[in-house]
Amino acid sequence: MSNDIAGIEDNEVLLVIGSNTSEAHPVIALRMMRAVKKGAKLLVVDPRAIELTRSARVWLRQRPGTDGALINAMCHVIIRDDLHDKKFVAERTENFEQLRQAVTDCTPQWAEKITGVPAADIEEAARIYARAQRAGIYYTMGITQHTSGTDNVRALANLALLTGNLGKTGAGLNPLRGQNNVQGSSDMACVPSLLPGYRAVTDPEARRHFEEIWGMPVPAEPGLTATETMPAILDGRVSGMWIMGENPVLSDPNSGHAEKALKKLEFLVVQDIFLTATAELADVVLPAACFAEKDGTFTNTERRVQRVRRAVAPPGEAMDDLSIINLVTARMIGNKPGMTIRPDQEFTLPGGGRCRVFAPLPEEVFAEISRAWPHLAGVSHQRLDREGGLQWPCPDPEHPGTPILFVDSFPVGRAKFTAVTWNGPKEVTDPEYPLILTTGRLLYQYHTGTMTRRSRVLEESAPAPFVELHPRDAEALSLADGEMVRATSRRGAITLPVLITERVEPGVVFIPFHYHEAAANLLTNDALDPVCKIPEAKVCAVRIEKIAA
Amino acid sequence: MSRITLKLNGMEVVAESGLTVLEVARRAGIAIPTLCHFKNRPADHHCGICAVEIADAQRFKLQPLPGADLFPACAVEAVAGMEVQTESKPVIAYRQHRLATLSQTHFGDCKAPCNLTCPGQINVQGYIAHIAKGEYEEALRLIMERNPLPFSVGRVCPRFCETRCRRILVDESLSINHLKRFVADWCRAHEIELNIPKERPTGKRVAVIGGGPAGLTAAYFLTRMGHDATIFEAAPRLGGALRYGFPDYKIPKDVLDYEVDSILKMGISIRLNQRWGKDFTLQDLRDQGFDATFLGIGATVDQNLDIPCDRFENVYTALQFLRLVNDGKKLDLGRRAAVIGGNNIALEVARSLLRFGLEEVTLVYPRAKIEMPAHQRNIHEAEQEGVQFMLMASPLDLCSPPESDARLKLNLIRMKLGEADSRGRREVIPVPDSRLALAVDTVVGSLDQFAVAGTMPGGELEAALELSPKGMIVASPRDFQTNIDGVFAGGDAISGVKSVIQAVVGARRAAINIHAYVMGVEKEAAESRFNFTRGRGFDDVSSQIFAGIETRLREKMPQRPYEVSRQDFDEVKLGFTEKMARREADRCLSCGCTAFDRCELKELDIAYNVNLTKSGMGTEPRYSIDTSHRAIDIDPNKCIYCQRCLRACEYDALELSAAALDQEGRPEGLVIRFKDNCVSCGKCVDSCSTGALNKKQRLVPIQGEPVREVRTTCPYCGTGCQLILKVKGQTVMEATADPEVGPNYGDLCVKGRFGHNFIQHPDRLKRPLIRRRPGGPLVPASWDEALDMIAGNFARIMVEKGADALVGLSSARCTVEENYAFQKFFRTVVGTNNVDHCARY
Repeated sequence: MSNDIAGIEDNEVLLVIGSNTSEAHPVIALRMMRAVKKGAKLLVVDPRAIELTRSARVWLRQRPGTDGALINAMCHVIIRDDLHDKKFVAERTENFEQLRQAVTDCTPQWAEKITGVPAADIEEAARIYARAQRAGIYYTMGITQHTSGTDNVRALANLALLTGNLGKTGAGLNPLRGQNNVQGSSDMACVPSLLPGYRAVTDPEARRHFEEIWGMPVPAEPGLTATETMPAILDGRVSGMWIMGENPVLSDPNSGHAEKALKKLEFLVVQDIFLTATAELADVVLPAACFAEKDGTFTNTERRVQRVRRAVAPPGEAMDDLSIINLVTARMIGNKPGMTIRPDQEFTLPGGGRCRVFAPLPEEVFAEISRAWPHLAGVSHQRLDREGGLQWPCPDPEHPGTPILFVDSFPVGRAKFTAVTWNGPKEVTDPEYPLILTTGRLLYQYHTGTMTRRSRVLEESAPAPFVELHPRDAEALSLADGEMVRATSRRGAITLPVLITERVEPGVVFIPFHYHEAAANLLTNDALDPVCKIPEAKVCAVRIEKIAA
Repeated sequence: MSRITLKLNGMEVVAESGLTVLEVARRAGIAIPTLCHFKNRPADHHCGICAVEIADAQRFKLQPLPGADLFPACAVEAVAGMEVQTESKPVIAYRQHRLATLSQTHFGDCKAPCNLTCPGQINVQGYIAHIAKGEYEEALRLIMERNPLPFSVGRVCPRFCETRCRRILVDESLSINHLKRFVADWCRAHEIELNIPKERPTGKRVAVIGGGPAGLTAAYFLTRMGHDATIFEAAPRLGGALRYGFPDYKIPKDVLDYEVDSILKMGISIRLNQRWGKDFTLQDLRDQGFDATFLGIGATVDQNLDIPCDRFENVYTALQFLRLVNDGKKLDLGRRAAVIGGNNIALEVARSLLRFGLEEVTLVYPRAKIEMPAHQRNIHEAEQEGVQFMLMASPLDLCSPPESDARLKLNLIRMKLGEADSRGRREVIPVPDSRLALAVDTVVGSLDQFAVAGTMPGGELEAALELSPKGMIVASPRDFQTNIDGVFAGGDAISGVKSVIQAVVGARRAAINIHAYVMGVEKEAAESRFNFTRGRGFDDVSSQIFAGIETRLREKMPQRPYEVSRQDFDEVKLGFTEKMARREADRCLSCGCTAFDRCELKELDIAYNVNLTKSGMGTEPRYSIDTSHRAIDIDPNKCIYCQRCLRACEYDALELSAAALDQEGRPEGLVIRFKDNCVSCGKCVDSCSTGALNKKQRLVPIQGEPVREVRTTCPYCGTGCQLILKVKGQTVMEATADPEVGPNYGDLCVKGRFGHNFIQHPDRLKRPLIRRRPGGPLVPASWDEALDMIAGNFARIMVEKGADALVGLSSARCTVEENYAFQKFFRTVVGTNNVDHCARY
């Protein structure tokens, strides 16, 4: 997020797009609702009648995969009606002319045809957004999980820049991270093209910096993304894999393909807290500690680094992931095979649990991170323990952290508008696959359910998968509510009960992706965004069939 | 922001303007109690507890609380020049009155009857609830908070708790003691190490004389408190009455050895074969630098049979006999035996005699069976095994020459009941001319046991030690100290023979006093006995509270048939299986309040000395308990209508209303209901001032056990809500949030508050697994094997196909440090940039 969570309440206008915030980020949704209670106007862009639409001033119900067109049309209206922030555009941005030209033809009428959203609504939303002093944009995977994901984000950035909604409180461009430490993993460059702190691996200066800290050479060629890895395995370019805390067999789009690839690996190590579907394919399964059993930090969606603290010991011989990485490192570079491992620290917790830890310890690793990345130079475990979470950039130990980015300038000086041409989703409906499938989360479940499905209240609240289908489509297929159906895409088929509801539009179906017994990602499309390689999990074509009794 | 100056309790305070008196006081470090206050959401119906006195109140045009010249601090804005008294007499009296009033309609049990009845004050409901949840290790930990001998007590406890179990009013009491034994045995079978935590070493040394239940218990608690305890035991092995008093069929020796070892493992020194008074004296201990001494020598001296000719061969006293049995001595006992006495020890003697193959074992007692001091359960078992009872008979002498086929002739006389004495107990008197004789080969007398025969040998201190006329050590009931400074005593040595749990309790209390003595500190105040109850006795309990509970009889303890069990010394009772234990634990009615640790009404009642017996409490259920919500149970009988739940709810998903309020502002016709739009975030429960709202999963009441609050970050979405994990032992009991800490400021979603069962889920991976051959199954392996396999295969692939043939996939669920280390491993050790994480899906 460019801005902070606390500032959400200061928004005059909230543009929530591709985010079912009430279910995926409930506490953030509470802040949004507080803003609404204080008088803020809520604009919701979502193909489904999600909870937030009930409080929305304008609900733009776009067809899945048409966000780019809609945003461009909003830009069009703002420029046409001269509502853009001319001072901000002049002083802090460049390429405005390119944007203006790019959206000239993107009229609301043009967008209506593509998105299905009435032109008048687009106009109204654009005006409400542009006229606010403080308007924030909030988005999640509904924007990014498309072959046009990068362009969608660029389009949203155009919108924010056009109206000067960056660098001030109650505004901004705010991706809501879906997992506890997506921000931290990205910051730490578990990304094939980047080094920690978002420095390109292709940048020799950056490599030199890390080679100095690490005392070892750093390869210059960008590596494979997770989504590129599966085809690479099938091509024979990749033979071994270490998967830490992930379950791609369920979470990857076209997951049948992922499973096939993982099976082909010569050697697979999976490290997890449960024997997941992915772990079942492994040659070695390592038992890891969960969040309550280890020390360290998570960085939340507003860039706030916060402590994670050990409450209990891991079960049995399970160990925290850092110790495991340290052990594997030691085994590969130093220790002879077969050497008995001796922990660097062994202790009993106040409650009686026994823990073994292998150095370097989390606070030592964090100290190295602080040296490596200036944005965290002012952060240490000790300081977090003393003061609570800190938002980067936090360049020195006296710095209070940065709740809002880009207040005075952008890292690149002036921010550039990008001309974005709308491209539709890779897969469109046809007579064989006449419905659009979109996927998402439920409040009571999380990701592939390894944790939530083992927590009673949660599992009892949402115990089974379903496919949401509009009554009109249900009638056409002569389906009754709760009836079992088969959902088929070009990549796979699953069986699950139908939930007849007007939450979805005719022609669109929705399946939550948490359930292994009807894994939505067997159906989804693994076509990738050309820039960031994100898969198009949010739109594909399916057909729903009655299962003959 | 402007500032104002006012006086709080005579003290000048400068405060921000616009705040309430309550908030100004809070910031000045003066806590004003309240039951209804909720930050930033004022109440429209005041509980009145935050009453304060304000001088010259007319000046500020304030609305006083009904019936008093006092004002609600939560509603009055602090104004310059105000003079506020928060602790004056009228204030205290008013608060006390309000608390008493609110308590009058509060209907519930703070602690369950079983907890209250247990002499050990064990959190019985708590460990049963842990068992019901499958948390056996935690159940044992909870028991061990109060009782270090769960194996033994779980086998021989008289089970005071079970007599008060409310389930009796439905069908049968719970088999509480069998459950205790189950968890102890389960943890042993599963090689669970509890690693009982100890305080930091104090450097104080305490001598514990006697290695029986009292001595072991004292040493255990002293060690937990950080002291250095040394046990001096006269016998060659530890255990005392557990080893030498209870035969193997009750407490198998391997079980006892395990139990003793698990206590010693904490770091307790032992000196065996050291008899006090013979091998060392109290003065010796002082000279050796012990800071205090605990006497836990038990009551091991038998009272003689005291009938003419009682010194013959083949006549034993009870403990002498049991020691021989438990030492495995070969004894010639003949064919028939008589046991004289009706206490529990007499029954163990009789049952042991049967096991030596005697044809006839007769227990002689001068009264009826029902009047025997032994537990009826023990009597029944002895009877089932074939012990015969000669009741209403008393021994006269052993002087007559025996008949040819016997070694002894026991002369007896019949007894009858005489007139009642002043206490109503009827004496037994001999029936004239009713003599009869028993021809036996062995006689064992079990009349009574005491601590010291005559005077205590040793030195001056021993000579000065005060003993009771019956031969017990005299210790103050207040602090367990004897008349010798620094010498404490507990267990059977001061009380005479009682149950093991009673020895445990005495020794624990003594240990607490020894701690205070050696550290020179005040003893911690005993836990308040304050308790709401839905009925002290069974007669006081309204049957309505059992509405809808189906009859389900208790699990039967599997045991060997008596005709078989009497033939050897193997254990008779076999123990519950896991399934039986779970089923039995599920029968618990959970009488005690699971909000015990957070109930503010109880806390304030105690602080303001509310006397429920005088002022009254709810006696009848007025509402039924609503368990229809998936996460939260509602018991309106406990509601004091503070309305915090209503104000806490962020979703307007709660309905709370009263048909009317009585004169005191208490609700009548209360309705508490979750609406359909409830998202189970649970904030209402965490805001409830009593146990009217309860988390279903929080089955285990926390009653003064050590609880840690660990502050951490939620593992679900990217909001990064700050959590407080309440941890007891090795179990995360619940998750809450601090209203003062961002980014969530007390808010959590259903996952944050209720989604943590997975931590302790049995499916968790506990050992590395490897595939020993391609296509083979995943099998458990050591870390070394797993690491070798990884290092070997990674190295091989790097050599054969290059570094880029390896890929790492990291996780946004792991920490910053782990992600950093993971990519560093791939970039440096492997030498590839093939490392990614899951942000894209």
